[in-house]
Order: sequence, then C-alpha cells, then structure tokens
Amino acid sequence: MPRFSLLIFAALPGLLGAQTIEFNRDIRPIFSDRCYTCHGPSSSTRRSPLRFDTEEGAKQKLGNHFALVPGKPGESELLRRVTAGNTPLRMPPVSSGPALTEAEVSLLRRWIEQGAVWEKHWSFIPPKPVVPPAVSDAAWVRNPIDAFVLARLDKEGLRHSGEAPRETLLRRVTFDLTGLPPTPAEVDAFLADKAPNAYEKVVDRLLASSRYGERMAMRWLDAARYADTNGYQTDAERYMWRWRDWVIEAFNRNMPYDRFTVEQLAGDLLPNPTLDQRIATGFNRNHRGNGEGGIVPEEYAVEYVIDRVDTTSTVFLGLTAGCARCHDHKYDPIAQKEYYQLYAFFNSLPERGNAQKYGNSPPLMAAPTPPQQAYLQEFDTRIAAAKAKFDALQSRVDAGLKAWKPAPGSQWFTARELKNQWSADSTVFDGKNVRDLGDNADFSFQDPFTISLRVKAASGDGALISRAKDEPEGPGYSLVLANGKLQANFVLRWLDDAIRVETTTDFPLNDWHHVALTWDGSRYASGVTIYVDGVAQPLKFNVDYMNQDFRQKEPLRLGGGLGTRFRGQLDEVRIYRNALPVNEIRLLAIADTLDTLPSTSEKLRRAYLDQGAPADVQIAWKTWLGLTEDRAKFAATLPTVMVMEELPTPRDAFLLQRGSYERPGQKVSRDVPAALPPLSPDAPRNRLGFAKWLTDPKNPLPARVAVNRFWQMYFGTGIVKTVEDFGSQGEWPSHPELLDWLATEFIRTNWDVKALQKTIVMSATYRQASKASPEAAEKDPNNRLLSHAPRFRLPAEMVRDQALLASGLLAEKLGGPSVKPYQPAGLWKELSGGEDYRQDHGADLYRRSMYTFWKRASPPPMMSNFDAAGREACMVRENRTNTPLQALDLMNDVTFVEAARRIAQRMLNEGGAAPADRLAFGFRLVTSRRPTPAEAGVLSNALRYNLDRFQTDPSAAAKLLEQGESARDPKLNPSELAAYSTVASLMLNLDEAVTRQ
Amino acid sequence: MILNRRKLLQTAAGTAAFSSLLRGDDTSGIVATPHFKPTAKRVIYLFQSGAPSQLDLFDYKPVLEKLRAKDLPDSVRQGQRLTGMTATQTAFPVAPSLFQFAQHGKSGAWVSDLMPHTSKVVDDLCFIRSMNTEQINHDPAITFCQTGFQLAGRPSIGSWLAYGLGSENKELPSFVVMISQGSGNVSDQPLYDRLWGSGFLPSRYQGVKFRAATDPVLYLSNPPGIDGTTRRRYLDDLSALNAINQNEFNDPEIAARTAQYEMAFRMQTSVPELTDLSKEPESTFDLYGPDAKRPGTFAANCLLARRLAERGVRFIQLFHRGWDQHTNLPKQIRGQSKDTDQASAALVQDLKQRGLLDDTLVVWGGEFGRTVYSQGKLTADDYGRDHHPRCFTIWMTGGGVKRGLIHGETDDFSYNITRDPVDIHDLHATILRTLGLDHTKLTFKFSGRHFRLTDVKGRIVNEVLNAA
Repeated sequence: MPRFSLLIFAALPGLLGAQTIEFNRDIRPIFSDRCYTCHGPSSSTRRSPLRFDTEEGAKQKLGNHFALVPGKPGESELLRRVTAGNTPLRMPPVSSGPALTEAEVSLLRRWIEQGAVWEKHWSFIPPKPVVPPAVSDAAWVRNPIDAFVLARLDKEGLRHSGEAPRETLLRRVTFDLTGLPPTPAEVDAFLADKAPNAYEKVVDRLLASSRYGERMAMRWLDAARYADTNGYQTDAERYMWRWRDWVIEAFNRNMPYDRFTVEQLAGDLLPNPTLDQRIATGFNRNHRGNGEGGIVPEEYAVEYVIDRVDTTSTVFLGLTAGCARCHDHKYDPIAQKEYYQLYAFFNSLPERGNAQKYGNSPPLMAAPTPPQQAYLQEFDTRIAAAKAKFDALQSRVDAGLKAWKPAPGSQWFTARELKNQWSADSTVFDGKNVRDLGDNADFSFQDPFTISLRVKAASGDGALISRAKDEPEGPGYSLVLANGKLQANFVLRWLDDAIRVETTTDFPLNDWHHVALTWDGSRYASGVTIYVDGVAQPLKFNVDYMNQDFRQKEPLRLGGGLGTRFRGQLDEVRIYRNALPVNEIRLLAIADTLDTLPSTSEKLRRAYLDQGAPADVQIAWKTWLGLTEDRAKFAATLPTVMVMEELPTPRDAFLLQRGSYERPGQKVSRDVPAALPPLSPDAPRNRLGFAKWLTDPKNPLPARVAVNRFWQMYFGTGIVKTVEDFGSQGEWPSHPELLDWLATEFIRTNWDVKALQKTIVMSATYRQASKASPEAAEKDPNNRLLSHAPRFRLPAEMVRDQALLASGLLAEKLGGPSVKPYQPAGLWKELSGGEDYRQDHGADLYRRSMYTFWKRASPPPMMSNFDAAGREACMVRENRTNTPLQALDLMNDVTFVEAARRIAQRMLNEGGAAPADRLAFGFRLVTSRRPTPAEAGVLSNALRYNLDRFQTDPSAAAKLLEQGESARDPKLNPSELAAYSTVASLMLNLDEAVTRQ
Repeated sequence: MILNRRKLLQTAAGTAAFSSLLRGDDTSGIVATPHFKPTAKRVIYLFQSGAPSQLDLFDYKPVLEKLRAKDLPDSVRQGQRLTGMTATQTAFPVAPSLFQFAQHGKSGAWVSDLMPHTSKVVDDLCFIRSMNTEQINHDPAITFCQTGFQLAGRPSIGSWLAYGLGSENKELPSFVVMISQGSGNVSDQPLYDRLWGSGFLPSRYQGVKFRAATDPVLYLSNPPGIDGTTRRRYLDDLSALNAINQNEFNDPEIAARTAQYEMAFRMQTSVPELTDLSKEPESTFDLYGPDAKRPGTFAANCLLARRLAERGVRFIQLFHRGWDQHTNLPKQIRGQSKDTDQASAALVQDLKQRGLLDDTLVVWGGEFGRTVYSQGKLTADDYGRDHHPRCFTIWMTGGGVKRGLIHGETDDFSYNITRDPVDIHDLHATILRTLGLDHTKLTFKFSGRHFRLTDVKGRIVNEVLNAA
C-alpha cells in the first residue's frame, strides 16, 4: 500500500540517523518513484535532457546551472525545485502528484552534502562473497546468516531472541519443510532426544521426506501459473500434471537449481533430451490458452509469448520486463527493443493463437508415468517375443501359401477394428435418393476412424457419405464430391469451428474407384487423409479450426448429406474404429478376388494368415498383431503434457509498437538486455543459450532472486520484500550483505537447493522464539530485522492439509491427476450454465491440497478464501489477509467439520479415558503441544457445555455427525462424539492452529 | 479461567491500534479525504453479460429499413477488424431491427418495444450511445470492463472502490456480486470468479458472491446440529483461547483474527436478514415483477441490490448472462428483455422513492455492441448479430448523473460513433469521479508500477454529470 511504503523508514529509525547516505538504498528509490516518469530511462516520455537514471544525465550542465553539484546542496537546482512549494517551479509538478516529503528532501540534501556519490543499481552489480561481520554476541551465531542479522540488530539497538520452545520449533520446521505438522510421536521423539544434534537430525529427516518436494512445489506452481484448465472463456480441462509431478520429483531428488532452470526453459534443446527433460519445458506452456470462437489468432499467439517473457523475467530475473512491452521501461534499463529481443527466444514453437478449447494444445507429447513406461517396455518385450515366434514360422507360411487354393470368387478384407460394413451395389443413386444407414459411425472429434468405400460417380457433386445435418455447411462430418474434388468436412459451426480439406485433382468419373478417409482424432486438418485407389492424395486445407465436437444426432447417410445428393453407385462401405495406416488402405483398395491374386500378393498372404493357415500359425500371427494393437491402444490412453518445441527455422520477431500484434515495427534478433552481462559468444542463440546465460554465475540476478524467494517461505517476507521486482522500483533489501552471501553461497555449492534450505533452517535466526518484545514491537513492528521469528498464517494448502493429517484422513500419494474434493454444489454451473463440478469420493477427498483440481474461472473456494494465488498469471509474492470468510470456512466447510469429527474419534479412541487426557491429545494433534492449565480449563468447560447440549438434543448430534463421507465409529456414543467434535473444531479454528509461529 | 470476551476485545483494540491499519479488521479505505466532493456513495452495476444489441434496444436507425439485406458499404466498415466468426462471411447483409421504436418521456429518448418498463423511466436515465471498447471477444472485453485491462490479473472496479473507500457497513462485505442466468442464450458466455477478484490488491478487497442457495455466502450456515447459541458460546471460548495466546505473543494479528470471527458471526445474522424477502410488501413484488419472488433471477437480485444499497454496501454488481445473440436474435432478445426490463426500471423507481437514487449510481450495460449486419442468414423474421466493439449503448442514473440526457451519437448504421465517444476508461474515470475519487490518484504499487483502474488513460465525462 503506497501510504505505508515509507513506514519502513519509521520502522528502522537508524536509517535516518547520522550514517552515510547510500545512493541505492536511500536516493534511487526517490528518483525512481518520483522523477523517472519524465526524467528516466524511457526516451519517449523523457521531457528534457535531464535524467536521473544515469550519473552523466543527472550531473550534466543544464544551460547555466546543474541539477546536482556534489557537496553543494545550495547550488543544486534539484533541491531548489523539490522545495519550491506549490509553485510552477516545483518538481514533481503540482499536477503530477504530491511534493516530496521532508524526510525525502533531507535525504537528498545530505546525499548531495556527502558528495552525491552515484552507484549502479545494486541488483545489477554481481554479488561478491561477503565476510560475515563481527557481532555483539558471537556465541549466538550458528552460521553466517546470524552474523548478518545480528550485526544489523546491533546497529539498531535491538536484541535477538532465544530459541523457540522445542514443540514450536519442531512444528515450525516441519511445516516449513514438508507443509504438514509433526505428529505427537514425532514431537515426543524430539523432546526425548537430548543429543546436541537432535534438531539437525530432524532437519535431515524432513529434507529426505518425499513431502519436502510437495511443499517446495507449492510455491513453484504459483510462480509457474500452473492450473488444470485452459483459462479464458470456456476454461475447459487441460492436462499438465505430469509437469507438476516433474517439479515435485526434481525437488525431492535435489536437482541443482541451475539444472532446474535450464531443463524447464530449454530441456527440449539439450542434446538427446530425455522424456523428463522435455516434460520439464511444460513450465512455459502453463500459461492460459484462448479457445473462444471468433478470436483473432495472431492476437493471442502474441499474448502467449508475452506471458512466457514476463513469467521468465519475474521468476528468474526478478525484473518487471513486461513494462517494456509497450514502451521503454520507465524505471529499469530495459528498452522496448530489448523486450522484443527476449520475446524472440520464446516465439518459435509450432503453436497457434487459437488454442484448443478442450484439452491440451500442440506442441504436446505423451508423457507416460514411470509405471506406464515400465508397462510399455513390457509390451515391447512381449511384442518382440511374439514377432520372433511368428517369424520362425515363415517357411511354413510360405509353403502353405503356395499350396493354398482359395475358392473362386472369395474375398478378404481386414476385419480388425471393423465397426460396420454395408454393401449397396444394386442401389443406383440418382441425385434424389439417399440411403439411411441408421445410428451408426457415431464418432466424436477425438475418436480416430476410417471410412472405406468404392465409388462410381456420374457427377462431380454430391455427398458420398455423411453423418451431419442435411443442409449446406451443416454440422457433422461428411465425405463429399464438390466441383469434381473429393472433400472432407468436420463441422460444428461453419467457418469458426470446422475443418475442410479437399483434393487438388478431379475425381475420375464413371469408373469404380476405391476411396478412403481417415481421421486421427487430433482435431487438426493435418490429421485427415483422403486416399484414392490406395494412394494418399495431396490435400488443400480450406478451413482448419476445430475446437468443439462435431458429433451430431443424425443417421449415417449414404449418397447424400449437406443438402446434396450423389449420382452414381457406391459399394463396400466399411467403417473402422481406427485411422488405418496406408498399407492397410492399400489392401482395402484391391478389389480382385483371392483366387485371381498372385502368390506374392500381400492381400492373399493376409487372407491366408486369417483363414487358411494352420491353427498354431494363425494364433502366432494374431498374438503378435493383437499385442501391437493393444500397445497402440494403451499408448493412446497415456497422459499428455504441453511442451516447448523449437521450429527448424526461427520465427521472425518484431518490435510491436505499443505492444500490439497489429503493429509490428522493426525486426529484432534474439539477445539479452545490455544492462546485464552479454550472452556468451559461443552459446547458441536460442532458449538453451538463454537459460545457460541465466545460470551463469556472472549474471547478477538469478541466484539472488532465487534465494530471496526461498527466504520468503521461511520468514514470510523476502530480504527484498518485492520478490517480483529487483529493479529500481523494488524495495531495498533489509539485509543486502546477507542476500549476497546467500546468493554466492548458493552458486558456490553448485546451486544445491536442499543445502540452502538446511543452512537457513539451521540458523539461530530461524530458530528464535516468535514472541515480540515490547521494544521490537514498537521499533520494528513488521519485524523486518528479525529480532524474533515471524508469526504468520499458514498458506491455504497447509491449513487444509493439517486438518486432514490431524484427523487421520490424509491420503498420501505422490502426484497423479488432480482430484476434486468437497466443494459447495453449483459453483461451476452458475458461472457457465454448463457442467457442474463433479466431486470425487473416497481417498481422493483427502489428498494434499496441491493436488486439488484448479479451475481458473472458479478456483477451489477454500484456497481463494485463504489467499492462494489465482494461477491466471505468474505470482511470486505470498499474500496473507485475515477475513470473516476464512472464519466461516474453517468453522462450517464440510472439510473441517468432518476433520473435527475424525479428530474427536481419535480423542475418544486413542486419547485415554479421562476427558482431560482426551482433550490434551486432540489439542496436541492440532497444535503440536499440550494445553496450558488455563487452556485446558476453557476446553473442558467447552466440552461440558457441548456434552450437556448434545445429550439433551441427540438429534442435533446425529445431524452433526452425518457431515462428511468418511465412516464414523459406530461404537462411540453419538452425543459424546458430537461434543468432542465441536471442541475439535474449536481447536482447528484457533489462531495458533492456522499460524506458523 | 474464562476471560470476559468484551474485556479481551478492549485490550486487543489497544494493542492493535497501529497494525490494524495494515490488517484485516479495518474497514476504512485508503483515501482518507475524497479528491472531489462525492455525488454518489455507492454503485449498483447491472452488467448485461454477452453484449445486448444496441440496434434492437436503444439506438434507433430508421434508415436501415430501406437498406434491408443490402451489403454493408465498405465506407462504413472502414476495415474494422471482425471476429473469426464472420471474418470469412462473403456478404454483410444489413439487418434492420424487427422491433418497433418510439420516443418516450420529456427527453424523447428512443426505446424499442422490448423495454416497455424502461421506456417509462427514461427521464430518470442518461443514455450513452457512444460507448466503445477495444475488445471484440467476450473474455477480454468483460475483463476490460471489469478491470480496465484485457488480460486477467488486475483488480476489478469493485475491489478498487473497496480499497479506496472502504466499507460503510461492518456486517456486510463492501463489494457484493450476484449472478443470474438469462433466458436468451443459456449455454454461452461463462463468467469467472476473477471478474470480481482483487488482482494484486489484498484479497480482502475481492467481491463476495451472494448466491441463490441455502448459503447466500459460501459456508455461511453453521453445520447441521450447531445452532446460534452453541456458536455464540463456541466463539466466546475461541476468543478466550486466542486471548491466552495474545498475552503470550503480543501479536496484534491474533486479536484481528478474533475480530474477524465476530464479523463472521454478525454476517450469519445480517446476510440471512438481508436475503429474506418475506417481509417485503406485496407492492414491492408488483413493482419488480413476479420473478422477484424466485431466488437467483435478475429481478430478485435487483431487489437484493436495493436492500444492499440501503445497508451501505459500496459496490453491488449484478451479472445477467445470455445476451450473446449470434443467431436467433429476435427470439432470444425477447427473453433477455423480459428478464431485465421491469426489474431494472423498478430498481430505479424504488431507489428514487426511498431517496436513495441521489447518492446511488446505477449503471446498465454490457461489454460491447452488436453488428448491424446479420451473422448467418437474414430472413423476414430472423437474424443474428456478431460482436461490435465500435459502439454500444449503456444507461446510467443517480449519484450525480444528469437525468433525461442522451449523450453521444452513432452513424445511420450504428456502426461508427459520430459524436462524443466514451470508452471504457472514460466510463471508469466517471464512475470514480461520482464517488469523489480522482482516477489518476487511486493507485496501488505492484511490480514496480503505480497501477490504476484506468491504466494510463481515462477522461471524466463531465457532460453527463451534474455540475459539482
């Protein structure tokens, strides 16, 4: 909030003391916020040669005066202008905002007095190894973090705090590293472990737990705008969970952060990329995709690239590059041209602006899970064995085939995957009649299929076969003759939701020819093939935008459709449930009867294998074929994931004037902003080169930005509070040297993520008690100096996951498709009129919250109530508010009512016999500690009150206990269970329960 | 030991004095002194989602009858981009409205016979016929209307107001949203929670959706088996337990949380009281129409809007879906008009007779307009209209807006604006102005930038406002 932005000064009184003014800390923010709009980096809005973003610009001679005269405030025009009251001379001008505050003017004056020393913006100077400072209480220091923190506290006259109570500490570190609280047994074990390294053992155990990867992934999903739907209008489901699982796995395997960066940005460009490396690139496909009918595709193709550039800049560089989309950045050294040079790294994939409305949009790939990969492998082994077995029989097949004498006039056509067949040789189509083939061949747009038939056409117009409304351009699919060409149509709404392809040569009239159409279910014109006499025809794509299902409640019509009628004859109509490959189509095209075929004929051979061969040969043949088909069917069910892919020739990129797709300006080539180190000359000029540039230790930003984001997870606020902005509008770091120490240490340890987390949580700073001393509360109410550990509300996921764990309901399983736990009915439907949320049952109600299905248009309400990021766009700052909706949710949402019931059940079954023990047991499940006598008093009064009430009104108890789908223990007395349940709910609603302290 | 709850809250109030400014128990806004003298205290925005056809409701074009089925002249279209739905259409046949227009009231405003009730209150309304937007598809256009930017991620107008002005009511949210399904186009044009989201503003400023369900606000009701008395006692216990922790940690956030539970408890009473229409006299339902008795209809939501306005809720936004008439327009728009006409006019009259119209701004309109040419086949009694961003009509009233005014003008085809264009940023600037806010000064710093609802644009349309 702007009006509080200066409170940090009030909070850190030392800043205004007699110390040296630091340009980057004290002066640049004033220039940036108050002057840059007209005197900053942007050439288009600069009003005069005077500029405060460069030293030369600020100190140049302006006519007969200088804005800045080092050492001489009195001669500095700047100072005269900012103190000019409400006169036309005043800067910033009266019309553009309020005057500088006294504190700001005083800083400027003293800075000029002290020589007006200029510095490059701090975050653009590479971090250098820093020697931890000397401190007042060296015994307190466990690692260098503490030296930096304590040195600062010393300077401000604040004291550090002692170590937190052991239960608190264990609860804190367990939440921080795994996203879940410790169990009472884990608390007991820690309390009992008197070894000096007891805490370190805990930390190592937590870092080794697979829950660690889940916890670390939570915030990465926010940054990567991960969701289970496409966003925009229809917001239908997409499938990116394989990428989400890759992230969890990467954290659990402790993938170095530089590799983590390179694989996600450019895994596909690594030499011989593995499946996992390609899945990793889903990072930059998590953006929304617009499938709304009627959009201008070019407009959205640009938006996707913009999203990639902005997300990549925020996540890895901590820069708000997006500001330079429309004009030069007003605050940071990123020219508009440089923005589009970054853009050029991310625009070269085979994608379209009109995304698929349903499902994933290309480029995408099958992404089998490890068990599925094993299953595929097993298939391959079995197929190889079956083939070997069949191959061994070849001499018998050859001999048998020679001897085989099929009956005169006999025929064979493959019957595998055959769905329907009709013969119609006696029907003559006269341009009026049509043959109704009934409710058959009802394929959806994602089903592959084949239509095969023989055609003797008397005219070049008229539908051969259709399952479509019988009107011009009617919805449905059809194979027609139009203006002499064969044409296939797949239509929901003509023009904006349709595919039309046609052959380029005239179809021969008045002779029998075999025609086949195959559709591969890809929903693209490239997935359509038309064959004439077994030869795939060159096709012209007239319309290629299929977004919704063309399926129609219409009969299959032979010889008519789309309001047209065929003239001639049609025969041997066959419909197959798959897109037959060319070799199969070729066999279908052969009309000759078996007895007329030479023994070398493939068709004859196939017929023999099907009909004439000895049983053991037939079995061997069919086993091999069957396995191959089964493998293909299995492969079609594999999850897919959208990935990055590079076009063979990079797409041109242009500076877009005012950021508009309609106004391309000069052509630009791939490069990085000049204010940052250059790309290495031998690096490839592509995403891989870019990713390697990001992870080059010479780059001043990525390591700082990463460690700062991790820091935010543990302390609620980054060392740089504006975790998304390390530019000149960003906030000055509370501990600049600590930030640099962490960054250089991170690089020195080869970007070892787990080691960094361990360093942080092992520090004395982290282990402090969270109680604020009155002095600290007054001097530093936001605790930016960390005189004590921060208390802050748990992230949304942890609020729910804790209730699930404490209640024993949590269903732990790593990864997999997203799940749909409880949600009030009607939320989806009232937004769209379409389908409502279909809640899961059983274990899927109790998975960790990071696996909850995330619909962008209607996020899980509990998550939104508790400030979860919206997942529309990249979000790296953690937000926390405190609202009545949270209270209603925690008290009344069936998730928490049920969890309370199950905690009550555990209190009664596991908590001992005495009410006080049972309450203490439940309290421990939720808060990880025993209640104080005062707390125990409140709890037992509450229990007595509720026991009274539910014993008086057992029907109320019965109603309460019905909440939630999990079973309740029938042995327990309902009134007692309901009373404990209400007290358990009370526990879950405690401030302490939802707070990490 | 059980602490007295009131005593606890008093103690908590003391410690929380400073940080309550930063935290959740504060209901005041960021703007301490208004930038201008406000003429409105609250807004009711009757958003017509899907884009109503100005040509069939308010923007009368008699010339079109003579040009029926003729191709729209290129000189009118001027290369305006079209949606992918009609860009490949080979002809653009002019489709005159099937509906009869007449002039009404002293202002002589033209309104079609689709809106008989609105026709009767035209002298209270200010029509802006020269609205225009940059977006031609629903999602970006609605997002633009709601947030001043076409891509999701920025705060909605109601969130900006909640942030700027805070709440006048401690028992209800300051930004309330209600949705109704039109009888026109049932399946089209979804809405999204983010349309009333707070974007990068703290999430406590997000709109709260009131639903026509057992729980008008999500999770409002106590679970079955827990009654009000039990809940009261529960909250007392919760306060007592939180107070113990408060003494331990000296963290004002704990008291703030307790205060939110008290607010939640008050909402459990105030919201059902608000949504209970049983005490409304029959004359109310005569005014709003019979639909007002059916929860979840536009009419019922209009009535609730009045009740929310009476209780000082800052920004009340209704979304009525179903205005996307690409095909079958005559039939669908009859349904949509029937859904909305009577209740919209009733709301204006009702606010007026209660003296609330003077400080309540009411806005009625969609995200863009519709084309003069027919999408799909034009027949004697049927046509469709595609999206048209270049001009559309909205109306406003109350809260300092001139009444009986018609602002702006379009050409004979209702295709281009010929006088006084007003874009979405201008509309936003004007709405903020009525509330006493300077749209260039209501800002929030995020990602290094001072963002505002009107981005870098916006002109206050003083012509439609009473002299301050």
